[in-house]
Amino acid sequence: MNWSLFFDLTVSGLTLGSLYALIALGYSLVYGILKLLNFAHGDVYMIGAFLGWYALHALGGPMNPTFTGAVVLLLMFIVAMLGCGVLGVAIERFAYRPLRNAPRIAPLISALGVSIFLQNSALLIFGAAFRDYDTFDLIGVKTYSIGQLFFSVPQLLTVVAAIGLMIALTVFVARSRLGKAMRSTSFDREAASMMGIDVDRVISVTFFIGSALAGAAGVMFALVFGQIYHFMGFIAGLKGFTAAVIGGIGSIPGAMVGGLIVGLAESYATGYLPQGSTFQNLYVFALLILVILVRPSGLFGKAAISKV
Amino acid sequence: MRRRRATAVAALLALGAALAVVAGAYATTERAAAPTAQTGSDSALIKCGKTRTIGFMAPVTGPAASIGIQQVHWAQYYVSTYNKTHKKTKMKLQTEDTQLGAPTGTAEALKGAQALAGSPNVLGVVGPAGSNEIVGVTKSLMDGGLAWVSGSSTRTSLTTDGTRTGYMFRTVPPDAIQGPTAANYIIKVLKYTRVYIIDDQETYSTGLADEVQSKLRAAGVTVGRDGVSQQQSDFSSLIAKIARDTQLVYIPWQLTPKGIAFGNQMKAAGKGSIKLMGADGLFDSTFAAVGSHVYDTNFPLNPKSKIIAGFKKGHGGDGEYFGAPTYAATQVVATAIDRACKKGTATRASVRAAIRSTNIPAAQSLIGVALRFNRNGDLSTAKKFGLYKSNGTVFVPIPG
Repeated sequence: MNWSLFFDLTVSGLTLGSLYALIALGYSLVYGILKLLNFAHGDVYMIGAFLGWYALHALGGPMNPTFTGAVVLLLMFIVAMLGCGVLGVAIERFAYRPLRNAPRIAPLISALGVSIFLQNSALLIFGAAFRDYDTFDLIGVKTYSIGQLFFSVPQLLTVVAAIGLMIALTVFVARSRLGKAMRSTSFDREAASMMGIDVDRVISVTFFIGSALAGAAGVMFALVFGQIYHFMGFIAGLKGFTAAVIGGIGSIPGAMVGGLIVGLAESYATGYLPQGSTFQNLYVFALLILVILVRPSGLFGKAAISKV
Repeated sequence: MRRRRATAVAALLALGAALAVVAGAYATTERAAAPTAQTGSDSALIKCGKTRTIGFMAPVTGPAASIGIQQVHWAQYYVSTYNKTHKKTKMKLQTEDTQLGAPTGTAEALKGAQALAGSPNVLGVVGPAGSNEIVGVTKSLMDGGLAWVSGSSTRTSLTTDGTRTGYMFRTVPPDAIQGPTAANYIIKVLKYTRVYIIDDQETYSTGLADEVQSKLRAAGVTVGRDGVSQQQSDFSSLIAKIARDTQLVYIPWQLTPKGIAFGNQMKAAGKGSIKLMGADGLFDSTFAAVGSHVYDTNFPLNPKSKIIAGFKKGHGGDGEYFGAPTYAATQVVATAIDRACKKGTATRASVRAAIRSTNIPAAQSLIGVALRFNRNGDLSTAKKFGLYKSNGTVFVPIPG
């Protein structure tokens, strides 16, 4: 057993998995409340990466930042999360709310339309060129090792931040008044409305939170892997969705576990399977099919009970 | 039950989309059909006039824009020099942006080729930049009767498979020369025995990677081989596969930003001491800035050329060497158009014939040798590639 390879793949898989988990959370939250697959979510993640890039350059750029690296990073996250949160609310307000009572296929098509709209808008506004985060210049990328386990600061930051955000969200949904309203709306939107819950507001908040998490994931991705471009949200969105389905769409811990499973599967497939780096997507989506066949509601999902 | 069905349908949709991405990444444009019978544009008489039009295809925007813009600058430099020195005739470029490396594949290049083929004033074409683009635009340009001269496409079979004979020419030597140049340096000068090769799954890259791999293996070098999509920015799992005792990673990629990301992620993974070697597609100062452990190969140039000195003077001292052979390509097309237009009119066929019989002496060529083509459309005079090493900021030629 080549332990060095195993540890390297594990660190890589956990990093990727944390990013997928954050994206999966957005899918899960929205699906939990609206039973809607928001296929534009991956593109919100892409917009988050670009907002972080613009924030970085508005603050002097990676070579001459106005503040210390840590402060610049914090501000980048705030800008990306706020911007994406507002974008998510706007998408819900203009693309999904008018279709709330339409057949379920209508908002699904609308979501695909929003996805393409965002991709092409990004191409128009940001151009087709790749943009560099220059993480090395901004914070320096030292590699630390514990035995044969090597990891860098952005990788550690990504995993820790993802877990932190996940815990915060779980506590928020479980303990806060608004979280309780979200759970009620998820359980029965009509009944929640009759109990005095402002359902529209709850849905807007849900979109805000899910999109803000996608924005954070976009910045984290760029910090770890260095580059962003207008099409980056497509495949990441698909993998985030896969993570949500594997974990059990609608479940917060499911999104986290699903994300880690997808990330690790991708990483191990690349490392151990024949032509792994070439066919890594094939292996990941084969895993999706397997889980759907064996456990259609996902690992943490509950099978829906329907009265007949 | 409905929820379960909806989830399954959505999962299938996602799978379909993923397979489409995979299929797109592997769809080869090799199927570009052989040219059909020529249209009227091949023999149509075109009034040359005072200002003659050269079609120009380059990645002006998109992922490869950093090298594409160098080709733009060099083509423009030739045209402006020509226009200053010729009083009776002028040249102009009709530029088509190919967006090399964009997710849409060669679609933009194809649109550009169709626009040039349909443009009544265009007599010959400079470009496109990428080998895969050339495969994609072959039919359109040939149907339009247009010859094209590329200043950067190096895939060997483009000129040797007979598909484009008489239409395609290039002012750079093919990978059959570039590959051995890189391999010989690794074997004989660096004397490395453990090398990892990663192609970017495009025709240009896989061809060059195969070439180097076979030479290295024949010399007894232990070679690991992998491939990664041009659309991927996350190389962490791939980097994990590269053993820490690897001496050099060879990445003959087309997109400089990807090369930079790979180099930086290698450093982040604690593998920054492993040497990196790119090919002409990564010959850019931004890639050189990854570190002084980076090597590259690029087109042969004459460092003493007055043309290069003149260009550098007008571009802040930066030679933008990747684009230099595009100057030669523009020179070839412009010279051929002038020869074909001696009587005031020309056909695209006569321009093709004039390009085929090009003979520009070494003194007027920035690559240091005369510009003459063999039957296939390759330079009959250029026999080697140049080797470069980064000094941490730019690539510096390695003597020899």
